[in-house]
Amino acid sequence: MSLFDKFRPLAETRAGLGNSGPAPIATPIDRVLSATRGVIDGKEVILAGTNNYLGLTFEPSVIAAASQALAELGTGTTGSRMANGSYADHRALESELAAAFGWPSAMVFSTGYQANLGVLSGLVSEGEYLLVDSDSHASIYDGCRLSKAQTIRFRHNDPDNLDRRLARLGEDAKKALVVVEGLYSMLGDQPPLAEFVEVKNRHGAWLLVDEAHSFGVFGERGLGLTEQAGLLDEVDFVVGTFSKSLAGIGGFCVSPHAELELLRLASRPYIFTASPSPAVIAATRRALTLLIEGQDLRDSLHRNINHLYREVKAMGHELGSADPGPVMAIILPDRATALAHWRGLLERGVYANLMIPPATPAGLNLLRISLSAAHSEDDINQIVTALQSLRETIPLAATA
Amino acid sequence: MSDVRREVEAAVAAALAEALPELGPLDPDAALTGDLGLDSVQIMNLVMEIEDNLDLSVPVDILAEVRTLNQLTAQLVHLKEKQA
Ligand SMILES: Cc1ncc(COP(=O)(O)O)c(C=O)c1O
Repeated sequence: MSLFDKFRPLAETRAGLGNSGPAPIATPIDRVLSATRGVIDGKEVILAGTNNYLGLTFEPSVIAAASQALAELGTGTTGSRMANGSYADHRALESELAAAFGWPSAMVFSTGYQANLGVLSGLVSEGEYLLVDSDSHASIYDGCRLSKAQTIRFRHNDPDNLDRRLARLGEDAKKALVVVEGLYSMLGDQPPLAEFVEVKNRHGAWLLVDEAHSFGVFGERGLGLTEQAGLLDEVDFVVGTFSKSLAGIGGFCVSPHAELELLRLASRPYIFTASPSPAVIAATRRALTLLIEGQDLRDSLHRNINHLYREVKAMGHELGSADPGPVMAIILPDRATALAHWRGLLERGVYANLMIPPATPAGLNLLRISLSAAHSEDDINQIVTALQSLRETIPLAATA
Repeated sequence: MSDVRREVEAAVAAALAEALPELGPLDPDAALTGDLGLDSVQIMNLVMEIEDNLDLSVPVDILAEVRTLNQLTAQLVHLKEKQA
């Protein structure tokens, strides 16, 4: 009898992925060379399995901002902003985020995961309700678990199902926070945001949009799907992360409700953890400026997205989403086929992601490719050629 | 048997036939994940189907405590009676 016995099924799943070549889970990257190049298993590959949508990780002015803050402000804050002091740069970043949305309040968290934990658990409590999409990210589910509110799931991307559930709550719907994502990162699909807004308005409920994967990607100024859909006036909270388009680490929540400030006094995942290091904050401030002004970056990204979607659709692959987006999920019939594609891509110089249950919705086996504004046309061509050759060599009928 | 219990049992049976037709009749005291080998996705689809049939929302934390069909039915009866 051991505390570790319960992990045996997980260990067996991992063992089932084989040990010839690099591991598909927690793949060791020997070295990162640029936003789009890394060394895996001693070989240089195209990175198409990160979330570096705008390709800003090596942007010289972002690195310079981080270096300067590192030299001037030191390596860490060594504590919580509530207990150990709130640096000027952290406050400036919050002002800049709020200003980008034209809203009165923004809060910075140490990760995007903690932003969801802190906002959901702090904001929604006993006698109130969290209505979350069934395909929500783990950080949303964990925020619900930390909250004393009642959590109810609605069918993925199904405003009618949400409608029925809010109707059942009656007057209590006014105490319900609806949570959706701007882009679901497993299948790469987007929510019907306008329909969700119509439903929540009709019931007087509140709406939070987690733009973790859509911030920087959609909208004139890159503010996300909400901006692109022209719905910024209709949402109550936008949550996001610094770890994807902004190329750093950290998370945020912005709101048109000035009372968001009160959450600082009540949110445990905000209070009881150290604030991000000064270098991270400085890099994020610079990256935020580039993101807002980055229409050219978005143009490059969407050119790459459209290119890849066009080619892969022509190969006859089943995709997680018909709408082109920065994440392409190729649905494969079983784990063995998905693994063969993942290894085949790596052998052809492309690092993508293997996604298998229980991490995936509906028990799907996925090969997931994420694109960047920094990918060149040649990079996309190389990805397409690799996929094409796999399409010709690996049968898509079940191989098990 | 109360009307509510009859309604719940009918809804569960209909949902099972809809969401998991391959399973056939189930032992109501068998563990859903252990004995019956359902995964979390299958259980979620089953519950969503039942919720539609009963016009009810089951809070996620209640589901986390349910191990068998009988326990699920008992929780549903309780929620349905509270709703009435
Ligand atoms: C929808 C969503 N929310 C939150 C997060 C957490 O962000 P972070 O990695 O910055 O903690 C992620 C991704 O990791 C995500 O996909």
